[in-house]
Amino acid sequence: MKLSLYAGVATMALAAGMSHAAGHLDGQTITVAGPWLSPEAETIAEIFDIFAEQTGATVKYTGSDSLEQQVLIDAEAGSSANITVFPQPGLAADMASRGFLTPLADDTADWIRENYAAGQSWVDLGTYADQTGADNLYGMFFRVDLKSLVWYSPENFEDAGYDIPESMEDLKALSDQIVADGGTPWCIGLGSGGATGWPATDWVEDLMLRTQSPAVYDQWVSNEIPFTDPAVVAAIKEFGAFARNDAYVSGGAGAVASTDFRDSPKGLFSSPPQCYMHRQASFIPAFFPEGTEVGTDADFFYFPAYADKDLGSPVLGAGTLFAITNPSDAAQELVAFLRDPAAHEVWMQAGGFLTPHKGVDSAKFSSDTARRMNDILLNATTFRFDASDLMPGGVGAGSFWTGMVDYAGGKDAGEVASGIQDSWDALK
Amino acid sequence: MDNIAGSKSSLTWAVNLSVLVLVLLWLFPTVGLLVSSFRTSDQIATSGWWASLSSQERQNSAIRVAGEEVIVADGFEIRGSLFESAEVTVSKWGTSSRAPEAFDPDDVAELKNDWTLTVDGQGAFVMTSPTTLEGERLPRVFTTATAPPEWTIENYENILLDPKNSGGMAKAFFNTLTVTIPATIIPILVAAFAAYALAWMDFPGRALLIAAVVGLLVVPLQLALIPLLKFHNEIGIGKGYLGVWLAHTGFGLPLAIYLLRNYMVGLPRDIIENAKVDGATDFQIFTKIILPLSFPALASFAIFQFLWTWNDLLVALVFLIDATGDTTVMTKQIVELLGSKGGNWEILATAAFISIAVPLCVFFLMQKYLVRGLLAGSVK
Repeated sequence: MKLSLYAGVATMALAAGMSHAAGHLDGQTITVAGPWLSPEAETIAEIFDIFAEQTGATVKYTGSDSLEQQVLIDAEAGSSANITVFPQPGLAADMASRGFLTPLADDTADWIRENYAAGQSWVDLGTYADQTGADNLYGMFFRVDLKSLVWYSPENFEDAGYDIPESMEDLKALSDQIVADGGTPWCIGLGSGGATGWPATDWVEDLMLRTQSPAVYDQWVSNEIPFTDPAVVAAIKEFGAFARNDAYVSGGAGAVASTDFRDSPKGLFSSPPQCYMHRQASFIPAFFPEGTEVGTDADFFYFPAYADKDLGSPVLGAGTLFAITNPSDAAQELVAFLRDPAAHEVWMQAGGFLTPHKGVDSAKFSSDTARRMNDILLNATTFRFDASDLMPGGVGAGSFWTGMVDYAGGKDAGEVASGIQDSWDALK
Repeated sequence: MDNIAGSKSSLTWAVNLSVLVLVLLWLFPTVGLLVSSFRTSDQIATSGWWASLSSQERQNSAIRVAGEEVIVADGFEIRGSLFESAEVTVSKWGTSSRAPEAFDPDDVAELKNDWTLTVDGQGAFVMTSPTTLEGERLPRVFTTATAPPEWTIENYENILLDPKNSGGMAKAFFNTLTVTIPATIIPILVAAFAAYALAWMDFPGRALLIAAVVGLLVVPLQLALIPLLKFHNEIGIGKGYLGVWLAHTGFGLPLAIYLLRNYMVGLPRDIIENAKVDGATDFQIFTKIILPLSFPALASFAIFQFLWTWNDLLVALVFLIDATGDTTVMTKQIVELLGSKGGNWEILATAAFISIAVPLCVFFLMQKYLVRGLLAGSVK
């Protein structure tokens, strides 16, 4: 035991010795809690190293796979980290309303408006009511995921002579064509441990944006129209047209709910191909088989909109936001440091990172693929945030997930919708 | 059990058989985990662990032709092998996902741009082209092949030797010891005193106290997490080793007292009364007579408590691991190794085996006490 104490002291002394350059925050420690584990944790540590070099502060990052529970425990007990990185704005809003968050520096909102693409919407997504009901900017977005993507193997498409569909009508025609040729068009997997069901909520949100106007989508998110509204039920049924069609999904409709989302894209690369297309967010290449090169072995196209609906090209996304859970001047400075394009560029080079920051050097993206994704993000006519991340936790990270698992398992869409609405009413 | 009074049961074979079945049932998933820990993540994702025990014929994912091109008489040529292992036997191959079994070994496939490709039975390929292949996207080869079992110690190297992980693992290992050893000793000390008092000292309300301890056995510890942490913060302990020792002690005490009291109450009354007649104090009786006689029960509880605290994640997360991350324990470190999206199964399997190494040693060194202690109080 003594040995470990000595070892601990030695490590701390070493760490303190290494990271101290001259700076005005010398000797100060900032703790950060976030959802990223290996390998993202190493990238974020690199970014914090730049900050440490500039200011002399020591930044300690700890990642957790159960951050949603951990931040609540720490906040309740008063032992929060200085900064928490929230994967869901809904959770941050909840924390703000209970007085656990500290507003960001006054000029942050103006800076975001000017320097982020669609700046106002990022400000709105980071602004929540506090205990007294007054709105403040609490969250600064850093790292965005793009969800409206369909992944495929270009060579499998070439072998079969398929073209990339430009509209939802084409996409459905292509799916039918693949079935007619004896193949299976889609790989869909909803499994994700305690979060099982979330990939289906992304489908429904994407289809909602393709069948309804953005205004209706916003009303749905804020529950101004109930979950049982025909517009929402129709979007759920649209998802069913893909996921509940035995001929459309690899393994049949019964396998959708039980297949792990991390394993489902592997069907694209098996021999013979288990499926030709996989709709998933920009991070999914991390789960492609080892050695798969995005751009050669795998590629993506935009999940198209209906040609006859005139809703433009809507894009669904999500992102993580930095918020201060235990105030200190150094913590404010670390959030302000995220305005520096260098912070974004480190992660752009590491890959798997998109950003709405207009000031970054796009040549620093790790690949053309990432640059093309970022272009989709910057050129979207409509950008909407993942609805389930904005809904109250009990719905967006609860009944919506489980409801979609029930739906994929064969339950009626209307019944599922009214079940989700009931759970929402119960939270009000 | 032969020396127990009465005749040997004629149903011994049934007992033996059911023990064997139970043992196999328990070992089966463990063996699967062990086998998985020697496989790569792609192997785990594409086939079951039992498939890796023998040679299997299966359709492999596409492998892209790659290699240095050389200039030959009528153009350019690339030679190479699709597989690293020489023991693979190819039975069919193809270049299109629509027809992955189009060719037999040594057939020549005519591709676009007048390229030709041939693959032999061992996976060696020759590709020719009239023009240079520089900068071209080379074709993929689908194979149906029989491959011998393939194992890797990469996962263990990754966790134990990779500088990215090994530092954290070593630190977490010592942190875990720092948590488990005091968290095992403190409750035993307290519980032994309490158990003696509840078993052999007469005082008013003793029966009620015992009933209360038994009642505490059924209180789930999750109920006390947040209030206890708030209390720790208020009295200034905060998150740290002291807090987690106290928490483990508190959560372990009801069972410890119950187990030890039941054992001590079964000790012969005569010895204790003799000692009292000879003028021994309660403390002398406790240290000189009761403690040595209760060793099996103490040891068995120590094993239980050690295993629980070693495997504990929840209590450590709540009471120990703070935002600085310096007090990570093994279980937390393993969760982190799983990665942001939790997909690294090969790491999970490997880390599980690394983390059970110490509990296994403890168990095998002290297993005779475990069995004796399990019977504590149940056989009189």
